Amino acid sequence: MAASVRHLLKPWTPSLCLMRWSRYNPYYLDPDPSKDARVPESELSPEEKELQELKTVSPIKAALSSDTSSAFNDPLISKFINMMMHDGNKILARGIMTQTLETIKRKQVEKYHKSPAAKREEIECNPYTVFHQALENCKPIIGLASVQKGGKSYQVPVPLTDNRRRFLAMKWLITECRDNKHRRTHMYEKLSQELLAAFTNEGNVVKRKHDLHKMAEANRAYAHYRWW
Amino acid sequence: MNLHKLTSRLCPKATQKFRHLHIQSSGQQLEAVAVETASAEANPLSVFRTSERDPTYHSEGHSGQYYTLPPTHIQKLFPYGLPPRFQLQIKTFNEGCVMVRPPALELISYLKRADYSKPPLRYVLYGDIGTGKTMSLCHALHYCYSQGWLIVHVPDAHLWVKNCKELLPSSSRPSRFDQPIQASQWLKNFKITNERFLSKLKTTQRYVWTKRESTEKGQPLGELIDQGVNRMKSSSDVVGAVLRELRLQAGGATEGEGAFKLAVAVDGVNALWGKTSLKKEDRTMCEPEELTLIHNLRKMMKNNWVKNKKKLEGIEGFDNMEPFVPVSVSNYNEKEFESCYLYYLDRNWLQHPHSRSEEGKKELIFLSNKNPSILERLCAFL
Repeated sequence: MAASVRHLLKPWTPSLCLMRWSRYNPYYLDPDPSKDARVPESELSPEEKELQELKTVSPIKAALSSDTSSAFNDPLISKFINMMMHDGNKILARGIMTQTLETIKRKQVEKYHKSPAAKREEIECNPYTVFHQALENCKPIIGLASVQKGGKSYQVPVPLTDNRRRFLAMKWLITECRDNKHRRTHMYEKLSQELLAAFTNEGNVVKRKHDLHKMAEANRAYAHYRWW
Repeated sequence: MNLHKLTSRLCPKATQKFRHLHIQSSGQQLEAVAVETASAEANPLSVFRTSERDPTYHSEGHSGQYYTLPPTHIQKLFPYGLPPRFQLQIKTFNEGCVMVRPPALELISYLKRADYSKPPLRYVLYGDIGTGKTMSLCHALHYCYSQGWLIVHVPDAHLWVKNCKELLPSSSRPSRFDQPIQASQWLKNFKITNERFLSKLKTTQRYVWTKRESTEKGQPLGELIDQGVNRMKSSSDVVGAVLRELRLQAGGATEGEGAFKLAVAVDGVNALWGKTSLKKEDRTMCEPEELTLIHNLRKMMKNNWVKNKKKLEGIEGFDNMEPFVPVSVSNYNEKEFESCYLYYLDRNWLQHPHSRSEEGKKELIFLSNKNPSILERLCAFL
């Protein structure tokens, strides 16, 4: 038994790598750092029971050093910080993110305190909900892929996976804030402005998403060129 | 807890005090509402707020509670004196609330009980970073202002010894250097804070600035300050002259109008004796002695003037400062932390749903170690 486990746990060099830099054997499970209260056995469906048993038996990958077990940990924010990071300077990226959240909160709370009681309920002060909603508003529904047919390449409208949509939204947000700003504005200021604009479906990033949708609509005729 | 006393004091002052406290009701509505409901609404709020706006009446019972700084006072007294993050807070919350804490109360009680006929006493507020020294200083200054003292406030002495854009050789003495920008800035702020004293005080001797400009004996102090603000070149010397006048006149006059009390507050007093980051023209480092502003300020720090009180602030004690009364400032205790937490909840500042739960609160205590500035920075993005 020990020999078979050792054989399985040897460094595994895959022939076909599904993900960049992934050296783990596929049956390793992802770590779940959250401190969720254990749901008693009776309330779990049979699939969830299986999953629980699998967790007790199979090995789990090492957790990243940026994940915490506290409820303040947000995977979407972590992903965004990683995308903003440059040259591995995570401290700077995280600092910019916290400053962005603070700026958003300040602007909203200021508006909240200055407005009359009737309008206060509509103002969203939580920077996390603003961020999530803004990102949702920036995600494209349909994308374009370049397909070669008969010597010419056409832009073909194509459905996107969830991960790809999230990636595109974040990428557009970051490039927009890096390129289209005045030399002297800070990144967090520009980011907070863009996020607040995207929250209300305005601003350059949402415009870019709409442009992509229009292109896809215009190239509807080529939809049959897609074979997958 | 003096809840009973507070509620009885809150009721007659309901109109002014509740404009921010209660988000739903306005002041006029509360007046119409019966007294019982007003006190019932006030009870959860009075745990961390007090309606006592005058620092003269702050006592041990108020410890841990927030009192509101009147906006007119903020503009006059603290155009530059408050820490920058606190100024942001004032702007965001639409009000300036300061927590009443034991070090500030101690300092105010010393000031109340001090004997003014003896040479001035010096107090040093010391403590770790971010424990609230500057805020305690501002609290005590508010007390002095409401008592009608004349205030000499240097918000950050470090600004005078580093990052100086212009360093001119002094016009009056060959071995000294002037800082015109900082000096004129300080004079402008001094004018805003102490406007009522400017016409009353007169100069005691003649000051010659250049061949054509001089201030005669007996001119009001306001003219001296205007001279410094308009003529940037001699502004550092004007600062020296103003400080000298204040020292001579502060307690000496026994006539009705002349008598006033002087409070000198310097934030970051280490800067007066440490190294500067400024360089002279031949690229050698400047000593603090050679800067006019610093030299004049150091003279103020000495103990040889009569009938005044001074107070300082520093990070560690000094041999130059001996003797002084030390006042230690430390992190929040449990009650103060509670009150800070409730204040942030009330102002709609803690937005993350987890931070509003018990576990979140424990996490905040753990992460910040109840240090006021770290807690403030944590809650800023949560």
